[in-house]
Amino acid sequence: MEGITDFLDALLGGIDLTCLALAVGSVFWGLFILKPWQRYRNDEAVIVHLCVKIIYLGAFTLAAVQLIEVAVKAWLIAETLGRSPFPAFADTIQFQAGLLRTLFALMLGLFAWASLKKNPHSSEHWTIALFLIVPLVVSGAWLVHGAGRFEYRAALMALTVLHQLGAAIWLGAIAQLLGIWRLKTHNPLIADLWPLLLSRFSALGIAAILLLLASGIPLAWTYINSWTGLFGTGYGNLLVVKLWLFLIVLGFAMLNYRAAKRCRAFGFCADVNRRVPYYIEAETFVLISILFTAASLSSQPPPVDIPDLTASWSEVINTFTPRIPRFTSPTHDALIAGEAARTAIVAQTPSIAATEWSDYNHNMAGIFLFVISIVGLISYNKHYAWAKSWPLGFVALSIFLFFRSDAETWPMGPIGFWESTFSNGEILQHRLATLLAFALGVFEYRARRIKNPDSRLPYVFPILVAFGGLMLLTHSHVDFQAKTEFLIQIGHTTMGLFAIVMACGRWLELRLEPPVGRVSGLISIAAMLTISIILMFYREPLY
Amino acid sequence: MLKNTLQQLFSFHCDDRYFSRWPTKRPQQCIRILLQCICLTLLLASSGPLFAHAVVTESSLRAHPVQPRTKTSVLLTFNSGIELALSQVFLVSKGDIHQPVTVKQGRKPGQIIVELPSLDPGEYALRYKVFAADGHLTEDVIHFSVSEPEGD
Repeated sequence: MEGITDFLDALLGGIDLTCLALAVGSVFWGLFILKPWQRYRNDEAVIVHLCVKIIYLGAFTLAAVQLIEVAVKAWLIAETLGRSPFPAFADTIQFQAGLLRTLFALMLGLFAWASLKKNPHSSEHWTIALFLIVPLVVSGAWLVHGAGRFEYRAALMALTVLHQLGAAIWLGAIAQLLGIWRLKTHNPLIADLWPLLLSRFSALGIAAILLLLASGIPLAWTYINSWTGLFGTGYGNLLVVKLWLFLIVLGFAMLNYRAAKRCRAFGFCADVNRRVPYYIEAETFVLISILFTAASLSSQPPPVDIPDLTASWSEVINTFTPRIPRFTSPTHDALIAGEAARTAIVAQTPSIAATEWSDYNHNMAGIFLFVISIVGLISYNKHYAWAKSWPLGFVALSIFLFFRSDAETWPMGPIGFWESTFSNGEILQHRLATLLAFALGVFEYRARRIKNPDSRLPYVFPILVAFGGLMLLTHSHVDFQAKTEFLIQIGHTTMGLFAIVMACGRWLELRLEPPVGRVSGLISIAAMLTISIILMFYREPLY
Repeated sequence: MLKNTLQQLFSFHCDDRYFSRWPTKRPQQCIRILLQCICLTLLLASSGPLFAHAVVTESSLRAHPVQPRTKTSVLLTFNSGIELALSQVFLVSKGDIHQPVTVKQGRKPGQIIVELPSLDPGEYALRYKVFAADGHLTEDVIHFSVSEPEGD
C-alpha cells in the first residue's frame, strides 16, 4: 500500500506543476503576447479563446489536484506511521498552505471562466487575472524545500517561487504555441499570425530565461557551495544534467528566435513554418525532461548538508572508466544467498554477488544496445535490407531484462510479480523499462516496414525513447546511502540525458527534410551508441 | 512466424491501418492515448522524491557513544524542520527486531531527542520516519554499536 501512495503523491505533484504552468504561463501569454485589448481581429478571437480556456482549465485542475494532494499526503502519513495523521497534520504548514493554494487556484479559475471568458479584450480583466495569480504563485513558497530550512529561509522560498514562475511562463507559452500551431492547421485565417506570435514570444522567452537564471544561480550556490558538491553528489549531478538540458532547450529557442527574426526583417518565412513548429515540439520534450529532472532534484539532500557523503573525483571518473565488460554472471543461488545479509538493517553485509549480478545485467544490456546501434546505422544503406530488422534487438533485450532485472522476484525469485511490482518503486521502474524495451522493438519494427509515408507510427519510437530517458532521470535507489546512490545514479542520469537527445534527434529526423533531418538522425544514433558504451563500462559500487 | 505474432500483438492495440490514414481521428486518438499512458506511468514511476530529502546533519552518537546498560538520550539534528507529531523512531537490534522509542523535541528547530533504553553491547540501528516541514516524509537508518568501555 505504501508503494501505491508514493506513486499517487508523485503523480499529483507532477500534475500540480504542469497545471500551474498552464494557468500562470497562459495569463502571461495573454498579457504580454496577445494583448487583446490593444488590437482585436476576428481571426484572433479563436487564439484568445484558447488562451482563456487553458487558464481556467489549468486553474480548476490545479485546485482539484492540490486538494487531492493534501488528502493523499495525509493518507501516506497514515500508511507509513500506521495511525491517523489528524489532528497533528491539520497544524502543519503543508496542510494549511495546500488548502490556501486550492482556494487561490479556484478563484483564478472561476474568474477566468465566469468573467475573463466573456470580456477577453478588456485590459481591466487581464489585470485582475494578473493580480489573482500573485497569491497563487506566492502560496507555493510554503510547499517547497526552502520552507523547511533554517538559514536564508525566506530568500530560498522566494527564489524557488521565482524559479517556478520562470519555468511556468516558458512552459505555458510553449503550450500556447503548440495549441496555436494545431489551430493553424484547421484554421488558415490565423496562419499569418504564427510568425507574429513567435516574434512577440522572443522577448517573453528571454525574460523567462533571465528569471530562471537569476533565481537558479543563488539557489544552486546556497545548496551546493563547492565543486565536489556539484560533481560528487546526486543533487549536483542532477543539476549538471539539468544545465545540459537547459543548454539544449536554449539552442532550440535560439533557432526559433533567429527564424522569427529573419521572417520579420527580410520576409524569409519558410523556416518559421517548415522547421520552427518541429523545433518547438522537440523543445517540449526537453522542457518536460527539465521538469522531471527538477522533481528528481528535489528528492536529493543538498550537498551542503552531506559533506561526509560526497564522492571523490576519482570515484566519479572510475564510474565511466573504460573496461572489459563482464560476460559471466554469478549463479542465482549465490545471489539469493547473499540477499538477506545485504538487505538487513543491523549487521548489513555487502554482497559481491549482487554487485556482479548487476554489472553483468548492465554490461550485457550495453552489448545488446551496441549491436542494435551498429545495425541501425547499417540500415541507412539501402543495400542492407536485413538491417531494417534492428528494432527486434529491443525485443531480445526486453526478454533478457525480464529474467535478469530483479532476481529476487518472479519469475526467478520467491517474491510474487504483483507484490513486488506495486510495493517497490525501483522494481516497478525496472518492469516499466522492460515493457518499454519490448514496446520499442515491436512498434519500430512495424514502423520500418510501412510503405505509407504519411504513417504516424514512426513517431511512437521517439516518444517511447523520451519516456525511457525520463525514467532514467528519475531512477531512484532510495534504500542506499547517499554516496552509493549517487554512484549508481550518475550513470543512469547520463544515459537519461543521451536518451532525450536520441528522442529529439529521431523526432526531428522524421519531421524535418534533409539535410537537417538526416543530421538529426545521425545525432540520434550517436546518442544511442554512447548509451551502449556507458552501459558496457558500467560498474556498480559494492553495497 | 515471429513477424505474424508481433503483428497480431501490435494490431490488438493500435492497428497500422489507423495510422496510415492520417489525419483521420483514430490514429490521433491512438497517439494521444499513448502519450497519456506514458505521462501517467512516468509520473507513477517517478516515486523517488518522497523518501530522500531530510537528512541528519549531526548526531550525538559520534561524540557521546552509547554506554552499555545505561539509558541514553541521543540528539539528532536534521537539515530541515521536523513535525514531531508525525514522526516515528525505532530502535533496531540484531535480527532486525524493531522497538519504538520515545522522541522529544530538541532545543533548536530540526533537533529531536531519542530516548534509548538500557542496551547490551552489540550492533544496533535507529530507523526513523520523519515528516519534514517541506512536506517530505523521510525514512533512513543510523547505525551504531554499543561496546564495553576500554580497560574493562
